[in-house]
Amino acid sequence: MNLPNWTREPLVQFLALGALVYVVLTWGGDPVDPASRVIDVGPEQQAQISLNFERIMGRAPTDAELDVAIDKYVRDEVLYREALRLGLDQGDAVVRQRMVSKMDMSATVAVETLDPDEAVLRAYYDENADRYAGAVSVSFEQAFFADRDAAQAALGGEVLGNEALGDAISLPRSLEGESMREVSTVFGEGFARGLNELEPGEEWQGPLPSGFGWHLVRLNARTSEPADFDSVRERVDNDWRNAEMESRERAAFDILSSAYRIEIDR
Amino acid sequence: MRKNWNALAATSVMALALAACSSDPALDVSQTGNGEDTIELAEFPDRPYWGDTHLHTDNSVDAFGFGVRLGPEAALRFARGEEVTATTGAQAQLARPLDFLVISDHSDALGATRRLYDAPRWYVNWVIGDETVLRWYDMMHESPEQSQRAIGELITAAANGTTPEALADAEAAADSTKDIWNTHLGILDRYNEPGTFTALAGYEWTAMPDGNNLHRVVMFRDGSDRTSQIVPFPGIGNPVEALWDALAQYEANTGGQALAIPHNSNVSNGLMFEMTMPDGSPMTAEYARKRAENEPVVEVTQIKGDSETHPFLSPNDEMAGFGVEGWELGNLPLTIETEPDMLAGSYARSALLRGLSLEAQLGVNPYAFGMIGSTDSHTSMATGDEDNFWGKHTGSEQANTERALQAQNLGTRVGRFGWHYLAGGYAAAWARGNTRAEIFDAFQRREVYATTGPRMSVRIFGGFDFTADDWDNDWVRAGYTRGVPMGGELTDQGDAPTFLISALKDPDGANLDRVQVVKGWLDASGEMQERVYDVVWSDMDTRRRTGSGLTPVGDTVDRETATYTNDIGAAELRTTWTDPSYSQGQRAFYYVRVLEIPTPRWPLYDAVRFGFELPADALEAAVAQERAYTSPIWLKPQA
Repeated sequence: MNLPNWTREPLVQFLALGALVYVVLTWGGDPVDPASRVIDVGPEQQAQISLNFERIMGRAPTDAELDVAIDKYVRDEVLYREALRLGLDQGDAVVRQRMVSKMDMSATVAVETLDPDEAVLRAYYDENADRYAGAVSVSFEQAFFADRDAAQAALGGEVLGNEALGDAISLPRSLEGESMREVSTVFGEGFARGLNELEPGEEWQGPLPSGFGWHLVRLNARTSEPADFDSVRERVDNDWRNAEMESRERAAFDILSSAYRIEIDR
Repeated sequence: MRKNWNALAATSVMALALAACSSDPALDVSQTGNGEDTIELAEFPDRPYWGDTHLHTDNSVDAFGFGVRLGPEAALRFARGEEVTATTGAQAQLARPLDFLVISDHSDALGATRRLYDAPRWYVNWVIGDETVLRWYDMMHESPEQSQRAIGELITAAANGTTPEALADAEAAADSTKDIWNTHLGILDRYNEPGTFTALAGYEWTAMPDGNNLHRVVMFRDGSDRTSQIVPFPGIGNPVEALWDALAQYEANTGGQALAIPHNSNVSNGLMFEMTMPDGSPMTAEYARKRAENEPVVEVTQIKGDSETHPFLSPNDEMAGFGVEGWELGNLPLTIETEPDMLAGSYARSALLRGLSLEAQLGVNPYAFGMIGSTDSHTSMATGDEDNFWGKHTGSEQANTERALQAQNLGTRVGRFGWHYLAGGYAAAWARGNTRAEIFDAFQRREVYATTGPRMSVRIFGGFDFTADDWDNDWVRAGYTRGVPMGGELTDQGDAPTFLISALKDPDGANLDRVQVVKGWLDASGEMQERVYDVVWSDMDTRRRTGSGLTPVGDTVDRETATYTNDIGAAELRTTWTDPSYSQGQRAFYYVRVLEIPTPRWPLYDAVRFGFELPADALEAAVAQERAYTSPIWLKPQA
């Protein structure tokens, strides 16, 4: 669906939906009056029932299944109209709550199945750049020391670069182009924080503390992956959808509530 | 009245109109499939990937009834590291994201409580027309406490087979189940990101004859291209063989793969790991084979207690009994008390032993399983840490400051209290990368292990020619090329097996106290034997073994502030260990148990945060040694 941008404004959509509803209710379909005691299950209604069945079961109903579905529709309709006739919808906290959530939902239901324009997603991506530009990768070597003083001493010594430097531990001696998320998983948050403070260079630095002990580190490279929209597109889509639902809910409420005068005695 | 009718019609028309004119955004096949060939894989499994295979959302009957209003999408966002708003209002975010998640909502009445709750009262009254259902419905709307009570009754009814027919209407349920399942699968695909975060499809199969817990979590290797061809298989009223048949059918029809993970054997009253068929007749090789094929892994630790072993079964294991208190009293709803002779069928270690015995008789081992932990959280939030416990369900989220002391009985479950809940565990999977296929395959070959929450890295390789020198070189390569990793099998070669064992502490957690090997075997007369060996521990030169066991590591926990220090214990423990009690032709298993130094449990954090005093028994249990259990390596006689 390719629509001009203004049609994507929540306000416009909300008003358009209102208009659509008005048209449907005053002209289209059957403006069913709950007072009426006629239930007409015409071809259109049957098609709708059949469609509902198909949507759930992934296939069209057999004739027998359609009959069952129609009977169910009629039963529900009778009880529903009788319930309304008896005023059972009045003063029912659940109905009230249900109506409230339906209104909220009417503002957001479109978002769940919407296929947003790439431009929309890119705009959202740009606005939240720091959320997606987080993919920093590092290449480093490290030597582990259980004891801080030993680490400090080694830093001043000439033995650096020696493969056997430091104490034995089951951690990678070096990592090449690894994401900070991964570094944090393997070496812990404390180490990752310390590493973030270092500038890349030839020399050994530290010692950095970690949950294991102390590390001398040679940070060979740190690259911020160029922001790459395509690689995070689905995440942007998910996040955009979440944000959009919240904002539409708010916007719709603002429109409706602006027509009210609210008096609260405090 | 007319106005209301219009509003109802209006919204449904809107929904239909909009649904009709939009389409699902096309997802990349790397997200909808099983993730094969999507990322570069390591040569050998390079690190443990952390996950929770047992999480409930608002699609679960009981979770919804307990009050959770977060759905699968929020669950996925939370697990992968995003911030969400918990049902009780607080902002929540995992300090350390998980690598994978299985959302395992109950297959029975999937989404039913939410639908019941959402229904107008007149509908429940007139159309469903069942007094019990109407009463539950009113309770659900009255208050969170009443809602929990209603769900308590509902679970008891399900356990006792007295669910009102109106709720057990299978045909109507099948329609809505399909709808909810397919929606759910779509969300999973959207959040499945090979290499970063894996969203696996699954559900919980909740069979509970007489309230004895036989629950399984079912987990799939595949994306929605295959999983959408089925719906979750109902638990109530079906024997477990029917579940296995359904999984076999799925695999045959779709070319996909599925497995089932038993959990909470601790409240099964001995039924989870029987020596016989469920009807008491001798176990057949066919049954044993099916069980082994379908259930390669057991969830041994989670919020509702720990099922590794019980002090009654392992009297010489001074570290037995973690997470046993309260749960040992009876079955899940505590309608039937547990007798001592039931325990062997309820705990993993004794089940592994029974497996050896059955294998000697039948030629196939039904209980050759690996071990994992998970949460079984009903809050949509996969939290496993003690300082971040979000409760078993929404009624016990942190907003409930009295949760640690509340009786978990709602009037009837005498003897189980809030503080008996554990904070929940996690599953670690040794995989070559983070995809559906890689994670699933690690489960299938049992290269997985359980922790009670901390993320320590634990390796064990078994072989016949390992030496201490292997540590000086690439010992992981040595392990994989000259031996087998956890979950593997060795065939007897006439010499005692040797193991390379390494445990690295959680980088953001507590130090390690000790590493133990738990050996189980059949002796010369076919009797089941077990022994726990301390194989390496911190400060070995000063901590000696005495008549009453290894000198304890100490305890740095300040009960007033719920803090501890890492002044004791070790960052890493590793050793080369050869079985000293080997004898030729012996059937045996070996698994590793790693213990952390003592740390505060969640009730102590609660007591400090909310300013109350724990009673003596709760205070004593408020500090514990968290642990990891690896899957075993089996030693088999030559054929």
